Amino acid sequence: MSGTIHIPTLAPDVLFQIGNFNITNTMINVWLAMLIFLVLGILIKRKVSLRPGKLQNICEFFLESVLSYFDQVTGDRKKTIRFLPVVGSIFFFILLSNWLGLLPGTGSITWGHKMLLRPANTDLNLTVAMALVSVIASHVYAFIALGVFTHLGKFIQIKNLFKSIKKGPIAIFTAIIEFAVGLIEIISELAKVLSLSLRLFGNIFAGEVLISVISALIAALVPTPFMLLELLVGLIQAAVFAMLTIVYLTVATSAPHGAEEH
Amino acid sequence: MNIIEIANASTEETVVEHTTTPNNESVAASLGLNGQLFVFQLINFAIVAGIVWFLILKPLTSKLEERKNIIDESLEKAKEVEANLIMSNEKFTEKISEAKAEGNKIITKATTDAEELAVSMKAKAKVEIENLVEQARGKIKDEKEEVMQGIKKETASLIMAVVEKVLNEKLTDKKDQQLIEESLKNLHK
Repeated sequence: MSGTIHIPTLAPDVLFQIGNFNITNTMINVWLAMLIFLVLGILIKRKVSLRPGKLQNICEFFLESVLSYFDQVTGDRKKTIRFLPVVGSIFFFILLSNWLGLLPGTGSITWGHKMLLRPANTDLNLTVAMALVSVIASHVYAFIALGVFTHLGKFIQIKNLFKSIKKGPIAIFTAIIEFAVGLIEIISELAKVLSLSLRLFGNIFAGEVLISVISALIAALVPTPFMLLELLVGLIQAAVFAMLTIVYLTVATSAPHGAEEH
Repeated sequence: MNIIEIANASTEETVVEHTTTPNNESVAASLGLNGQLFVFQLINFAIVAGIVWFLILKPLTSKLEERKNIIDESLEKAKEVEANLIMSNEKFTEKISEAKAEGNKIITKATTDAEELAVSMKAKAKVEIENLVEQARGKIKDEKEEVMQGIKKETASLIMAVVEKVLNEKLTDKKDQQLIEESLKNLHK
């Protein structure tokens, strides 16, 4: 048996360039997912009706499952629907792109000496982009739901600092702590982006490396359980990312604790 | 950029590692983060999100909502219909009871009327029959008298003829009358 184990690099491979723009193998995977969604979307948009066909039935089944799953966090279907453009897109996109990475050809078809297809979420650029969208969307929703100043007040608690001056040293001490907590909250927002992006990237990248190595060592049958495991990992990671996003959205849009006291 | 190739001479598998990470390369760059690629992927994700929302999730959720509203309305209507049905049933039962009572009244009245009518008809018929019998009796009496008169006349003429034959002579009116009366007296005896 003779073979070379190609372990994917941390950075996606640049396949070719259009002008000055690099086109990577993860982008090909994203475009593939985009194409699938586009075809599916056109089919659904054309045939959507009150009496659903087979395709609509299947899609509605998945959507209903996801909605009831999100309802557990928001506690309200209207809120879930309001957050769905962000959370639903994230969930279904991550799920599809993770599962696309398990298709035959991913990690085996080459373009030049580079892999043509690579799971989209093994590109940190994409996971960071999605994490940023998730966190920024939570703030946008919060601005709309609570108002700019109320939401900013969660992070920059200067108002209490000024008020505490009249109330004495304990109040001043509390206000300073609250101010510091507000600053820590800002850092935690950055941490959200890091944790979301690195978790997804790490899990999918690790899975891709694992399958690449196992497939290279023993090509038949042995990788199958790992691929099945990756199916599950793909679903879990999509669910985790989406759930965390909806948690951020729900927390951000809820009124700050003790707002009436201030 | 790290490229690892594993080479194993004994199993003829190759594992080779190329570590080309320059010392001056940042952590972000070593993880593959790149400004241009990041913007590209952001745009890609925005397009995917747009497609997923506008072509898939939005139509499906709106249809789900529409269907839910229709089902809710239908259920409410069904409840209304059920309530109406119960009310109608109650009214129907009430009307049926009223109709039954009314019917019973009518039947009772009709029976009473029929009995009264029968009695009056009987009485009327009895009177008419009696009248008819009376009329028949009078007629029979008249006819009897008529017949008796006829017989008397016939008998008188027969006697006259017999007497004429017996006596062989013409009787005068006076004698004739005498003879007739005597004959009649004898006949009565």
